[in-house]
Amino acid sequence: MHQKKILAAAALAVAAAFTLTACSSDSGSDKSPPVTDVSAEAKTKAATVLDTPFTKPDMVLTDTHGKKYDLIKQTKGKAMLIYFGYTHCPDICPLTMGNLAVAKKALPKAEQDKVEIVFVTTDPEQDTPAALGTWLKSMDPSFVGLTGNFSTIQAGARQIGIGIDAPKKGKDGKTVSMHGAQVIAFSPKTDKGYLLYGDDASVEDYTKDLPKIIKGENP
Amino acid sequence: MRRGATALAIAAVTGLALAGCSGSGGSSSKPELKVADAYMPKPVGDGEMAAGYVTVRNSGGTADKLTSVTSTLSDDITMHVTKDQKMEQVSSLPVPAKGELDLERGGNHLMFMGLKKQPEIGEKVAVELHFEKADPIKVELPVKETTYNPKNS
Repeated sequence: MHQKKILAAAALAVAAAFTLTACSSDSGSDKSPPVTDVSAEAKTKAATVLDTPFTKPDMVLTDTHGKKYDLIKQTKGKAMLIYFGYTHCPDICPLTMGNLAVAKKALPKAEQDKVEIVFVTTDPEQDTPAALGTWLKSMDPSFVGLTGNFSTIQAGARQIGIGIDAPKKGKDGKTVSMHGAQVIAFSPKTDKGYLLYGDDASVEDYTKDLPKIIKGENP
Repeated sequence: MRRGATALAIAAVTGLALAGCSGSGGSSSKPELKVADAYMPKPVGDGEMAAGYVTVRNSGGTADKLTSVTSTLSDDITMHVTKDQKMEQVSSLPVPAKGELDLERGGNHLMFMGLKKQPEIGEKVAVELHFEKADPIKVELPVKETTYNPKNS
């Protein structure tokens, strides 16, 4: 199965290469980027260790049960990974949270309780506690989902270097929201945000790194 | 024996190269489209929406555009590009001549709204891609796990 995939990929890469070499002279008008991203770039570590760790954002929001949630107080002394996104996002938000869900389940049961995965909505108007709850539960019922005042959420995100804009009505009348670019991991030892993951971090990356994160170590 | 195989391979390569270029310079050539790498990650939540991904390769010398997508799964399928962490709906996506339209996680994608049923892993979602110039192409999107990303597998 796996081998077949590799073969197919190789065949495609070869085919792509032929097309390119064969026709490079007459593709002057072709502004599309070359097909070279077929070849995976050599992957270094997914996590960026921050020289100056972030202080945990001072955010008091509402969780999926409609209860007040004080981020600093309630995640104190625990490893915590935080991501900003919205549920009406079919692409990267479920991928990121799904990756974290799979990685967390791979930990031994006792270790799973040592890490909190927190999802903060960037679209609080549409993401009510109930909507957030339904969305997160299908990935991992232990995930914390937070909603509240957009300006509180935006200020909190900014404290850890994540820029988000308020949702806007698009041309088609549908809301255009945005997700954060990174997942930030907080150490249980210092309560500081010390690792940063881009949206290309995979299940394997998180699975490999979580056991270190719950000890506050660098992956 | 081994030399024979090499010769054969070279012949095949030459053949491909020739075939690849025939007619590509002429303005009369048409878009020649092929679809690959189609999939739909299993949607999360109550299945309100799902994303779909395909790669459309154009071996023809004329550019085309993906203009709409239809499926029995949803009557509301739109095309989106992702710019600066924001999704933006577009009315078409370009399929360049001698190039490809690549929909991928974190980038351009199809968005299915108001799903008529919850797609389950292992099922296939039948979709028809409509283009500005080329004939529509029917493609089946296998439903994969939520975290599926061909880039990482």
